[in-house]
Amino acid sequence: MERPVRKSLQEYARGVAGGLLFSLPLIYTMEVWWAGFTSHPLRLLLYVVVTFTLLLGYNFFAGLRRDAGWAEVMIDSVEEMGLGLLIAATMLLLLRRVTFDMATSEIVGKIIIEAMPVAIGVSVGTAQLGGGDGESAADTGTGEDGGGSKKRHGEKAGTKDRVHFLGQAVIALCGAVLFAANVAPTEEVVQIAAEISPWNLLGLALLSIALGALILFYSDFTGAQRFAPTDEGVAAVIIGTIITYAIALVASATILWFFGRFDNVAPETIIAQTVVLGLAATLGASAGRLLLQAR
Amino acid sequence: MRKLKKNWMEWIVFSVSLLLVASTLTYLAYDGLTIGDAPPSIEIRTGAPLERPHNFIVPVTITNHGDLTAEGVHIEVVLENGGAEVERSEFDVAFLPRRATREGWVAFQTDPRTAQRIKARVLGYEKP
Repeated sequence: MERPVRKSLQEYARGVAGGLLFSLPLIYTMEVWWAGFTSHPLRLLLYVVVTFTLLLGYNFFAGLRRDAGWAEVMIDSVEEMGLGLLIAATMLLLLRRVTFDMATSEIVGKIIIEAMPVAIGVSVGTAQLGGGDGESAADTGTGEDGGGSKKRHGEKAGTKDRVHFLGQAVIALCGAVLFAANVAPTEEVVQIAAEISPWNLLGLALLSIALGALILFYSDFTGAQRFAPTDEGVAAVIIGTIITYAIALVASATILWFFGRFDNVAPETIIAQTVVLGLAATLGASAGRLLLQAR
Repeated sequence: MRKLKKNWMEWIVFSVSLLLVASTLTYLAYDGLTIGDAPPSIEIRTGAPLERPHNFIVPVTITNHGDLTAEGVHIEVVLENGGAEVERSEFDVAFLPRRATREGWVAFQTDPRTAQRIKARVLGYEKP
């Protein structure tokens, strides 16, 4: 059965709200506009592809219609990216960061670089900002005239209690990217990394790990217990924490590389920047993940 | 078989999005494959001087014909009479992206119209 138009509108509205909510700091950050025209087009292309992959992953594991199969997940991801581009273009035009007398590459670059975090925000907003009426969870977005989907629901129910490792990792990555991206483009990360001492750096890394463990296992965050593996042994806690921090570091390094922070820099500075931003990424990967997760 | 059931509005949003995403990817791929790595090449053009209440200003248009962005572009404009410098002025442009044009003014106390020549040149710029 088709969804009524009113309901689709509601979903798009949630998406737009989520897109702006999560990415507004980036739209108001000048380093991000600069990265739009200083980045090589192929780096931007890679950035779009990586974001699209993240969207697919998020929609598949935590999205509104995650039970609906790949076609629907694909369509949703394209829509979210399209909405992201439209929202970013509108905002940049209104803020006069994009004007029509600029070179095409500058206009396109600025819009693309801002549109990707908006797209992730749209995805998270659509899935998370809705009311908990239970209706949306049951909405598969597809008509079923076979037993194919039933089987999938069955599988889902069977795996629900166990930790879906890949799914958790993807959502953690989305959380890390969403949070770290707000801090990554600023000059402050470079400045802190340049002035920090190795001991401070170690302290930051330990704090990140401790925060990750605390949020995931010892605080009473909604859904936190869902991550805890079957046996709640010390080993499981340690493994979960290490994986979370590893994901945070990967997200941190990738974003920094994208903003050109690793170009012509000594290896020590690369590591320092990654750890400095890693704290934000860890918060995203742990607390952020629990917030992004489907209820 | 599963069949997608979307209403007309969702199809419109999807079509527009698909078009946007496809053209974005195509543009980036095309731009990425055709772009060179020529360093910034900056052209400066000066316009007709204008008289203001306290000084004279000369509009300056600078264009980067290179493939790379220039940061902190420092521009100098000199008024010359018979080969001798009458007055010198300068200004900076924070960023000049590739193929981009920026406009500004330089100010003088001397009337630039009395100068035989308005000489403009770029002094230097950074790689971002």
